[in-house]
Amino acid sequence: MTDPVLEVDHLSITYTVGAGTFQAVSDVSLRLYPRRVVGIVGETGCGKSTLAQAIPRLLPEPPATIGGGRIIFRGTDLVKVPKRQLPMVRGTGIGMIFQEPLNSLNPAFRVFDQIAESIRIRHYRDMGWVKSFQGGSAPFDYSKPPPLPTVSETLSKPFLPSGAVGDAARERLQSRSDYREEVLQFLRLVRINDPEAILDRYPHELSGGMRQRIMIAMALSEKPSLLIADEPTSALDVTIQAQVLTLMKELIDEVDASILFISHDLGVIAETADEVGVMYAGRIVEYGPVAEVFQSPRHPYTKALLKAAPAHYKSDGPLSSIPGNVPNLSRPPSGCRFHPRCVLAQAVCKGEAPPLDPVDPAAAGDPFRVHRSACYFASEVPGLP
Amino acid sequence: MVAVPSAPPPRRAESPLRVFWRVLRANPLSLFGFLLVAVICITALVVVVAPHLIVPYGAQQQTGPYNAPPSWKHPFGTDGLSYDVYSEVMLALPLDLSLGIAIAGVSLLIGGGLGLVAGFYDTPGTAAGVGSVSVMRLTDIFLSFPSLILALAITRALGVGVVNVAIAITITWWPYYVRLVRGEVLAVKHLPYVMASRAAGVREGRILLRHVLRNVLEPVVVYFTLDIGTVLVTYSTIGFIGVASKYPGPQPEWGAMLAFYQSSGSINVYPWLVLAPGAAIFVTVFAFSLLGDGLRDILDPRTRRAFVRSTSSHDPPPEAVSALPSAPDAGEGAPSPATAVGAVDARSAS
Repeated sequence: MTDPVLEVDHLSITYTVGAGTFQAVSDVSLRLYPRRVVGIVGETGCGKSTLAQAIPRLLPEPPATIGGGRIIFRGTDLVKVPKRQLPMVRGTGIGMIFQEPLNSLNPAFRVFDQIAESIRIRHYRDMGWVKSFQGGSAPFDYSKPPPLPTVSETLSKPFLPSGAVGDAARERLQSRSDYREEVLQFLRLVRINDPEAILDRYPHELSGGMRQRIMIAMALSEKPSLLIADEPTSALDVTIQAQVLTLMKELIDEVDASILFISHDLGVIAETADEVGVMYAGRIVEYGPVAEVFQSPRHPYTKALLKAAPAHYKSDGPLSSIPGNVPNLSRPPSGCRFHPRCVLAQAVCKGEAPPLDPVDPAAAGDPFRVHRSACYFASEVPGLP
Repeated sequence: MVAVPSAPPPRRAESPLRVFWRVLRANPLSLFGFLLVAVICITALVVVVAPHLIVPYGAQQQTGPYNAPPSWKHPFGTDGLSYDVYSEVMLALPLDLSLGIAIAGVSLLIGGGLGLVAGFYDTPGTAAGVGSVSVMRLTDIFLSFPSLILALAITRALGVGVVNVAIAITITWWPYYVRLVRGEVLAVKHLPYVMASRAAGVREGRILLRHVLRNVLEPVVVYFTLDIGTVLVTYSTIGFIGVASKYPGPQPEWGAMLAFYQSSGSINVYPWLVLAPGAAIFVTVFAFSLLGDGLRDILDPRTRRAFVRSTSSHDPPPEAVSALPSAPDAGEGAPSPATAVGAVDARSAS
C-alpha cells in the first residue's frame, strides 16, 4: 500500500461575514492515493468548492479561516505553510481546473502565452532558479525529498551570461518562443486538433470545450501530482462534458496524478471517480467506492439525493425531492445536520454528530473498499423506499 | 547541450504593429485621430527644434499692421500689438501639449500606481488593508474640493508661474486615477483567471503586473488620452483667470492668449484673435479624444479581431487566410468556433 498523496484530517473552515460566521466545512477527512480519482458530490452550498479551494490554500483569508485540522501534502502540513511560500505549493504540486472555462483564461493573452507561463514556472523551479516546494515537479517520492541547494552551490551558478555559461543559465535565457514545442506537446496531450493554429488564438475565439482543454493543459503543464477539478464540466453541454471526462480519465495514467473531482452531478461522478464522498452541509456523510455508494447507499441523505436525480428512462410522475431546506450554516442543526429532514431521525441524532464509521468492519483496512457512513441507522437505510 | 528549436516555426503570430495598422485602417475616425495627434506632436517638435520652418515671426515681434484680418501673410491675422497671431499660437503649442501630457501622465503614474496597490492589497485587518483604506480616504479628501478652486488656491500659495500651476493641477488631478484604477482592479482581481493563475503558482506581484494590470489597462489608457484634453482645458482656464503665465509675454500660452484677447474687448470687432487659440485648444482636445477611442479598440483583443475580420472581406490579409484551413476543430463535431465567432464579429462590426 502506497502512501496517500493528500491527507485531509478533520479540516474545518469558517467564513466570517459581517457579524456572523458560517461553518462551510466541518471536520472533513479525506485520503487521496496516487492515480486515484476521488469524487466529492453534494448540492450547492454544501462546501465542496470551499474544500477544493482550501486544499491549495486559495481561499481568501480573511474572510475564510481554517479553524482546525491538517492538510498533509507531500509530507507537509499546508495549513501551517506561511503565505509567502504558498506559490511554491501551487502549480507544480497541486494543479487546479475551474468551473468557468470562459473566465478562467486571461482574455488578454493568446493560448500560447497562457500555457507558456505555467511551463516557465515549472522550468524555473526545475532549474533551481526559483525555490521549489520539495523538489519541484519531480515525481512523487516520499522516501527522499531532494536536498535544498547549499549556499556554495547557489553561488557557483552563473548569474549572467558572462563568457562560459552553464547549461542552466543558457536555458534560463531561452526566450518565450522556445517554449513553443513544449506548449504544443501539452496541447496534443489534451487532444486538440491542429494545435499550431490554436497557439495564436485568444480565449474568446475558442469554444467552451476547447477552453476547458486549454485549462487542463495549463494545469498539467506544471506536472502536478494532485489535480483538483472544481466542477470542470458543469458549464459545458453533455457531449462536450463526455469528451472532457473521457480525456481526464485517459490522462490520469499518462501524467501520473491523482484527481480530486468536485461536482454536483451524480452521473459525472459515477462516470469519473473511483471513490466518492457525499457532502451535506459542510460534512462528508458517506464515503466509499462509487459503485457501492450509488448502488447501495448507507446514508439517508445519499439515498434521497439519488432518488431526486432525474433519470432519462423515468418519465412517470413528478421528480421526488427532499423535504425541507438546506440548513443555514451560521446556525447548523445540532448533531447530525441532516436530522431535521431525515425520515429515520430519532432523538439520538440531535445529540452527538454521528461518526463516519465503516459500514462493514471487515473492509475497514482497505482504503479502496471501505464504505463509511455517518449515520446511526446506516443498517436501516437499504430498507427505505 | 540545450535543445535548440530545429525547424523555424511554420506560422508566426502577427506583429503588433500590423494588428495596430489593421485596426486603424478599419476605423477611419480613429485613424484620423492618430494622424492628427501625430501631426500635432511633430509640429510641436518642429516648433521647438527649428521654429523658422513653420513659424514666421518670433514671440512679441511687431509685424507692422494692427488688428489685421487673416491674410496669406498673417493666416490668423494680427492683434492690437501687431503680433502675428498664427506665430503666437504655434509658439504656444509645445508648452500646452507638454503640459497636458505631463500633468495627466504624472497623475496617471501617481494615482494609477496607488490605485493598483490599494485595489489589489486590500485585505481588511492587515497592514496592507489599513494602507489601502488610508489611500482611499486621502483620495476622498482631495476629491471633496472642487479641483479648479483647489488648484487656484495652491497656485496662489506657490506663486504665479507655469510650473507652479502644473504642480497645482497635478495635486488635484491624481485622485481621479486612484478611484478609476482601484475600481477596475477590484473588478478584475476576483475574476476566475486571477485565481487560476494563483493556482498555477504565479506570485502575487506578477499576478498584479501581468494579469491584473494588463486587464485594467484598456479603460485607464482611454481615460488618460481623454484626460489630456481635460487637463489642457483646465490649464487654459487657469491661464484665462490670469495666474498661470503672463500674456503678452515671451512664452505665449493659449489660455492666457484667450484671456488677453477677450479682456481687450476685441471679440466682436476682431473675432479671429479669440478664435485662433480657441480652435487650437479644440483641435488638440478633439485629436486626443479620437486617439482614446482608437486605443480602446486596439487594446481589447475582442474588438481587435472583430475589426480585422471585417476588413478581411475586402482585402484578405495573410492571417485570415491561414485561419480558415484550421476549421477542423478539437474533435468536438461542432462547427469551428473560431470561424463562427469571426462570422458573428464581422456582422456586428459592419
